[in-house]
Amino acid sequence: MTDNDQRPSGERKYPELYEKLVPIALGVILVAIVVVLIVAAAIAFGLLSWK
Amino acid sequence: MNIFSTLLPFASCIVSFVFAFLVFKRYLARRGPHLLLWGIGMTMYGIGGFCEAYYGAFGWNSLVFRFWYLFGAMLVAAWLGQGTVYLLAKRKWADILMVVLGLASVYGAIRVFGAQLDPGMMGSSLHTGSELSGRAITSGGVRVLTPFFNLYGTITLVGGAAYSVWIFWRKRILLHRVIGNIFIAAGALLPAFGGTFSRFGIGGALYISELLGAILMFIGFLRATTPMESAPKSTAPIAAPKQ
Repeated sequence: MTDNDQRPSGERKYPELYEKLVPIALGVILVAIVVVLIVAAAIAFGLLSWK
Repeated sequence: MNIFSTLLPFASCIVSFVFAFLVFKRYLARRGPHLLLWGIGMTMYGIGGFCEAYYGAFGWNSLVFRFWYLFGAMLVAAWLGQGTVYLLAKRKWADILMVVLGLASVYGAIRVFGAQLDPGMMGSSLHTGSELSGRAITSGGVRVLTPFFNLYGTITLVGGAAYSVWIFWRKRILLHRVIGNIFIAAGALLPAFGGTFSRFGIGGALYISELLGAILMFIGFLRATTPMESAPKSTAPIAAPKQ
């Protein structure tokens, strides 16, 4: 399997800064989503007090 | 006049209504239920900010409180998220979820407008004076509804934006949509965190996060709808297309 098979659009690249920042931002967003969901679920099911 | 309890939410209100106006304008030009729902959602955001500013400036009013709780605390995230559902999901599923959300919203409105209120239950702090808080609702079975709406809103709005970032980034296309969706996701997450901090007694967190959230989502919308100078013009939707 060649690189092209793994990523068909492998020739295309964003500017270097965005190549680094986008995956970091995406990771931070995903972690934040998980945290918010855990807290919201805990509140919804009465595991966390809201006072 | 307290800057935290009046000016911050008033600024959120202005940003949200300007944002909503631009989204409705885009809807009139391009149509699409996602734009209509985002416009409605940002109008709810603005109503929430207005009610908070009203309370900061003039004090308690039960009608204003009920509007704030219904639109600003309970429904806003879910309706914004429903717009993203129309963009990313199959139309049939989006329609089904819209019916469920509509019915749930009507039920929520009935419960909020029928609830017993006690403004003395809301907390206050040295920094903020007093913030509107759901604690003023003393009837059971009302506040418990809100996290379910917000769960749905977070999953669809933030998750949808993150999914769009992933799709565009993987293909290395439409960088402006990638950047715009990152801002939208971050902006949508902020009020969720602010609400959580506020719930745990951190004064000012809610109003600050709401203002920053509105600004970030607005920047994201503008970025996502404005192609980069070097990029060819695109007619693709703001979020990722249906797969």
